[in-house]
Amino acid sequence: MQRDKFFKEVDNLHHPNETLVRTHCSYCGMQCGMNLRVNTKTNKIIGVEPRYDWPVTVGKMCPKGVTAYQQTNHDDRLLKPLIRDDKSLKGTKLGFREATWEEAYDHIVKNFQKLQKDYGNDSLSVFSGVSMTNEKCYLTGKFARVALGTRYIDYNGRFCMSSAAGGFLRSFGVDRGSTLPWTDIHETDCLFIAGSNTAECHPTSMFRIWNVQERGGYLIVADPRETPIARRADVHLDLRPGTDLALANGILNLLIENGFADEEFVQNHTNGFEETKELVKQFTPEYTSEITGVAPEKIIRAAELYGKAPNAVVMFARGIEQQHKGVDNVSAYTNMALVTGKIGRAKSGVATFTGQGNGQGGREHGQKSDLLPGYRKITNPEHVKEVCQFWGITPEEMPKPGVSAYEMFELMDQKVIRGLYLLCSNPAVSAPNLNFVRNAMKNLDFMVCSDFYLSESAEFADVILPTVTWSEDEGTVTNLEGRIIKINKAQEPLGESKPDWQIQVELAERLGKGKYFSHLKTARDVADEFRGATKGGYADYSGATWEKIEKQDGVFWPCKSEEDEGTPHMFLDKKFYHPDGKAKICALPYRPPAEEPCEQYPLRLTTGRVVYHYLSGNQTRRIQFLRDMCPEPYVEVHPETAKKYNIEHEERVRLFTRRGEAVYKVKITEAIRSDTVFVPYHFGHKESINLLTNPALDPMSRMPEFKACAAQIEKQSIKKV
Amino acid sequence: MKKRLYLELENCIGCRSCLAACTQCGGHEERNRNYVYDVNPLVNRQTMPLMCLHCVNPACARSCPAQAIQIHETGAVLSALVEKCIGCQNCTIACPYGIPKFDTEQNLMYKCDLCIDRTKDGIPPMCASVCPSNTLQWLTDEEIEAKQKQFNLDNGKWVTSLPFLESETNVRVNLPGILQGVTKLF
Ligand code: SF4
Ligand code: SF4
Ligand code: SF4
Repeated sequence: MQRDKFFKEVDNLHHPNETLVRTHCSYCGMQCGMNLRVNTKTNKIIGVEPRYDWPVTVGKMCPKGVTAYQQTNHDDRLLKPLIRDDKSLKGTKLGFREATWEEAYDHIVKNFQKLQKDYGNDSLSVFSGVSMTNEKCYLTGKFARVALGTRYIDYNGRFCMSSAAGGFLRSFGVDRGSTLPWTDIHETDCLFIAGSNTAECHPTSMFRIWNVQERGGYLIVADPRETPIARRADVHLDLRPGTDLALANGILNLLIENGFADEEFVQNHTNGFEETKELVKQFTPEYTSEITGVAPEKIIRAAELYGKAPNAVVMFARGIEQQHKGVDNVSAYTNMALVTGKIGRAKSGVATFTGQGNGQGGREHGQKSDLLPGYRKITNPEHVKEVCQFWGITPEEMPKPGVSAYEMFELMDQKVIRGLYLLCSNPAVSAPNLNFVRNAMKNLDFMVCSDFYLSESAEFADVILPTVTWSEDEGTVTNLEGRIIKINKAQEPLGESKPDWQIQVELAERLGKGKYFSHLKTARDVADEFRGATKGGYADYSGATWEKIEKQDGVFWPCKSEEDEGTPHMFLDKKFYHPDGKAKICALPYRPPAEEPCEQYPLRLTTGRVVYHYLSGNQTRRIQFLRDMCPEPYVEVHPETAKKYNIEHEERVRLFTRRGEAVYKVKITEAIRSDTVFVPYHFGHKESINLLTNPALDPMSRMPEFKACAAQIEKQSIKKV
Repeated sequence: MKKRLYLELENCIGCRSCLAACTQCGGHEERNRNYVYDVNPLVNRQTMPLMCLHCVNPACARSCPAQAIQIHETGAVLSALVEKCIGCQNCTIACPYGIPKFDTEQNLMYKCDLCIDRTKDGIPPMCASVCPSNTLQWLTDEEIEAKQKQFNLDNGKWVTSLPFLESETNVRVNLPGILQGVTKLF
């Protein structure tokens, strides 16, 4: 369907005694196509072969994708359930003994039931993730609400996509991460990319992005660092961390002032223009420059290029979203497209680079504290009724909305939540303010962790359940375009590991809720129920059968029936999803980061990824090639700043904030602002930068402000350890 | 249709996926055979792959006293034959780019063979298959010619489309600077 000039008919190399299983990468939202090589004698995964036939990525993979297969038969795999009886060993790897599944289930059920009897249903919580299939994400929501009957369920997307979701909902009335397919990107005339280190975090977008420049188009990048993509940008807006809202307002002001507003579009398809126009007036290039630290000429040039471009795409990522005004940032950058009418047609639009493999699908189907399948709201009685009917429970039995991911740890600390079932996530590395979060996990009465490796979070568990990797199960995920794709099974589960959906069905049966779960015997059964549950919601997947996904190279939601081919481009009819069909241009007053530099903490700390690691690093730190390339975190410091602190390249320094401290090797680079330092966040224990980050939450998305806080460096007495 | 490896150095993002992919080629014993350099690490993020260029008259093979380095009919300059290589490392020194690597344990040179078990059948080598930035591409001569024309620049500051860097090579290269000559759309 979307085969473009990069697509080439290429055969794959077939080795004797091997089959190729077509699937996608386990990691980021790009969901690059790949073939897993399976030895037909041992039936084990032994390697990877590019998938030239996947239209989005045409065989390309980053080093994480190339080595992803090494997860499956890795020595660190958990092969049996583990139980730890000695609670004093919590927070360490010690004291676990192997157990049978029966014993582990009994232990869990006994403890869950006791906690709920003593402290009520809501004393249990579920913390999940979106590096798993839509079917698993869906069932996790149902498991929490129907099997456990708790209101406390939330997931790691609160640390990832929730601001994008909130911003899109407010601006468009619908949250599909990209309004256009990725195969449009290289054909646009101007890319405005804010807060995305694309070359490291979504590398396989790069051949399309570079092609815009090769065609004579423009690339504008807003980032405090001169990342590999910023290095080649036509305009690099090198702003202070946490000042995006001012930059977006400043550019909008220039677009309006210089006559780039599309009056017809604004008039017919949007609300809020006049109010916004008034508000952004104060954001002159000089005033914007004062706040952001970006030279006025650059701001003017960027606005001119975006304004003049016949087609343009605004793109952004966690850099703008992981702020305590992340939702405002998303709506503010989206304003640029709405005011100029560069949306609702091919080659123009707005997109966020989804972080996790299923960051899009996983947020739509009910593992968020306030959502139910199909993007229904748990606060909407109609929606609750629809889902209850489908599940066969009464609306009275449906738990109330819960709280967001970080707030769950606050409730654990207050002993409101006493038990935790953690799956597909590693908050002991990925949550902000880790001293507090780790302590909250340590003080839980009972914790179950489901994972395929013993993660830093699993160290706090009483029971660890061995789950499968992505390659040992099947199901769908929704990539960063909003395209539903199929993950295929290449190998039988290693050891005694089981897929999470099966674990949940078996636990539900033992909790006396079998009648809601026992019919789910295969991944396909879960898939069919899941599609039915989304029917009528606006994230409608009901027509996206596995057969259609295979035939069409994926299906873009919404896809409402067997006949519906799906929706690659959103809003082609200029109809947005608010009740009046109009999009909202938002007037957004500027707010500084929650914590601004001061005398004691004069530096701005920002965090992010490196190309070799994924999220908390629980997977990628175990892969030899990736570990060799980036074995430990570091702090990036500008040479001027280094001089001020009298520190040298590769020297170890103490970095600290109001919340915590860590020791890092210094990496001197001119590719960062001199008032800013950067540390990658993929590392555990004492190396976690999230010991230092600020949990100030966005009022709407409840996203913590990972991307900007105040920090200080201290020279260590001993040099170069 | 014969295809060649083509490098567009301007595009490199330093992801080292080419190195990871090199280890995945069946004949490569999970060792990568090329290099990616940080051009100026304390200053910026520019990086550059350094690949064997598969010289038409390769210094590595000419310098080998044991004739251990064979040239495949496709032009690929192969890794040293295990039975012939005497471990003298002449090839590494002779190669203008220092490409051949040395395994001290086996006393054996190993180098890029252009994934010969793939490219002999027209399948792209692993590095060019995966390279996310199109720094490494597997193209026909016509496609390469079009690229070299498109990006041809020699303006005293930038020289991009030299026919060859040193002597004639099977791999073709465009140097950084290619965007300097591009006519902007508006
Ligand atoms: S991590 Fe992302 S970019 Fe890299 S191969 Fe996997 S899906 Fe592709
Ligand atoms: S794969 Fe491509 S972009 Fe990545 S380091 Fe190698 S040549 Fe550079
Ligand atoms: S680049 Fe070096 S190793 Fe490659 S063929 Fe030429 S001389 Fe030999």
